[in-house]
Amino acid sequence: MKKLLIIGLDCATPQLLFKEYRDNLPNISYLMDNGIYGKMKSTIPPITVPAWTSMVTGRDPGELGFYGFRNRKSYGYEDLYFANAKYVKEKTLWNYMSLNRKRSIVIGVPQTYPPKPLNGILVSSFLTPDKNSQYTFPKNVSEKLDKVADGDYIIDVKNFRTDNKDWLLEQIYTMTERRFEVVKHFLKEEKWDFFMFVEMGIDRIHHAFWRYCDRTHRLYEEGNKYENAIFDYYRFVDKKIGEVLEILDDSTSVLVVSDHGAKGMKGGVCINDWLIEKGYLKLNRKVNGIEKLKPDMIDWENTKVWGEGGYYGRIFFNVEGREPKGVIPQDKYGDFRDKFIEELKNIKDENGNNMGTVVYKPEEVYRECKNIPPDLIVYFGNLDYRSAGTVGHDDILIFENDTGPDDANHAQEGIFIFRDCEKNYGGKDVYNSIFNITPFVIDYYNINVNRDFIGKNFLEDN
Amino acid sequence: MKGFTLWFTGMSGSGKSTLARMVEEELLNRGMKVEILDGDIVRTNLSKGLGFSKEDRDENIKRIGFVCQLLTRNGVVAIAAAISPYREIRDENRKKIGRFVEVFVKCPVEKLIERDVKGLYKKALSGEIKNFTGISDPYEEPLNPEIVVETDEETVEESFNKIITYLEDMGYIPKLEEETYSKEDEEKIKDRLESLGYL
Repeated sequence: MKKLLIIGLDCATPQLLFKEYRDNLPNISYLMDNGIYGKMKSTIPPITVPAWTSMVTGRDPGELGFYGFRNRKSYGYEDLYFANAKYVKEKTLWNYMSLNRKRSIVIGVPQTYPPKPLNGILVSSFLTPDKNSQYTFPKNVSEKLDKVADGDYIIDVKNFRTDNKDWLLEQIYTMTERRFEVVKHFLKEEKWDFFMFVEMGIDRIHHAFWRYCDRTHRLYEEGNKYENAIFDYYRFVDKKIGEVLEILDDSTSVLVVSDHGAKGMKGGVCINDWLIEKGYLKLNRKVNGIEKLKPDMIDWENTKVWGEGGYYGRIFFNVEGREPKGVIPQDKYGDFRDKFIEELKNIKDENGNNMGTVVYKPEEVYRECKNIPPDLIVYFGNLDYRSAGTVGHDDILIFENDTGPDDANHAQEGIFIFRDCEKNYGGKDVYNSIFNITPFVIDYYNINVNRDFIGKNFLEDN
Repeated sequence: MKGFTLWFTGMSGSGKSTLARMVEEELLNRGMKVEILDGDIVRTNLSKGLGFSKEDRDENIKRIGFVCQLLTRNGVVAIAAAISPYREIRDENRKKIGRFVEVFVKCPVEKLIERDVKGLYKKALSGEIKNFTGISDPYEEPLNPEIVVETDEETVEESFNKIITYLEDMGYIPKLEEETYSKEDEEKIKDRLESLGYL
């Protein structure tokens, strides 16, 4: 019986993996040379939550009903919740496996806390409160993880937005080393049909070290101490993948995936300061320095729009009859939104040139919009700039991240590499979609389901 | 988790198989080992050749009970969906198996005649089928079933939820995650996301 191992590398990005570093990554190159690989388009938006969940369900963020880490529970201004596994109502890959009497091992896949029962083992991901929580299924698995990991099993580094780079590097390496120890242990010691794990280290190292490694980044300094930090870490991950490949038998195929890519961050757009300047947002008091925008700071009766920060921007309209103190008449919503989009698209960069902002209407990019989507999804400068939610900046553009050091933004395309245990695809380069992963896995195991997925098996045309 | 037997009893067409399949899917999804012994299917293999006399019916139910007993003691959830009209044999199985949950799938015979999805009641009433439970053969209702679902009054989802809730409450199956996620967890995650700079 064929088995499948999915190796998830959060944020692994095509320009580094497939081009710049490829010759120095023997194990990943082996998988590419003998398999099928390419860029993989992520969800809109390309962020960890919801991208991984879309990948393992075949559903888009609208169908899943969550649009980021924090989501609106109602149209109230303060009624927010954090996306977690209990909001995942669609079947995941391991649900399909359980239903078909196949055993899964799932480690570190985002949106798996709190862990739901399954046929197999699940160790939840970086959105776990802490190790005192019940973060594994079965519960007793957590008791042996530290021993198996040969040290404290690190779910995620504590804080990657730090200036203490030496400490952070050590944390990332230790986390990855121990995660792979756990993975290797379960690969060898447990019975399984389907295995998936996600390593967060690449995302963390991108965000923390991009400026030191990207020669085109405005803050790059030649010969700096961390110039090879990202490259060295990719090589380390490649070595660890090599150790995993050695364990696998001839009936196991390997799929390496990332949830999105990475690119240098040029700066940030202070969305709420911009809205204040344009008269869309009014505060009820003076701002003291730079502050997080909180609902009680807003003069809602005189506010039409507010925004959320993040790697992309989320825009919310204050609509009459919808929000408690809404002001935009419902019959003017469409016109207002279209004009507002044009204004967003006209935002200029630091050189006075149009920064190329891309704006999406949720209902146009999702098959349906469950729960409460933002009114608009914004990629400032097509993700060259992040969205800064804080207020009190001197300028609309900032060049240091407002939530701590971070020089990389997410890119729309991540990666995939598939090495089949039976067929050699000879290094075929194809463009893939994150929505094609679930249909592919369903076909791989010949599972009979209602195929109303967005994507299709990426091997269909290959 | 330990194995147990979930025994659906009720007249033909009452909804035993439908509910059994729904419970099977739910339990598989929760990582449990599950097997269904459906009366209609068992009669094509395990009890092939048996008829519908009282002796044959009893023998059929005993065989199903025997397999359920083996599965249960090996940690499997055995789901039996069989008319099993006679109380004595059901109770005998209960004693043998031990971890036994009886689900009475209750529906008035008038309603079953009205539904008659398989067209069997029509044939039974016309005499084309002999020894038909509820028409020309007795059905002995359980006296103390663990669960009663009334499929003429409840939706199939309500009946299903009633069964799952009982199994959860009595510790036969693991609960889903909702109850393990606390306000304290939410606060910790918020702190964590803030420290990661996501908020």
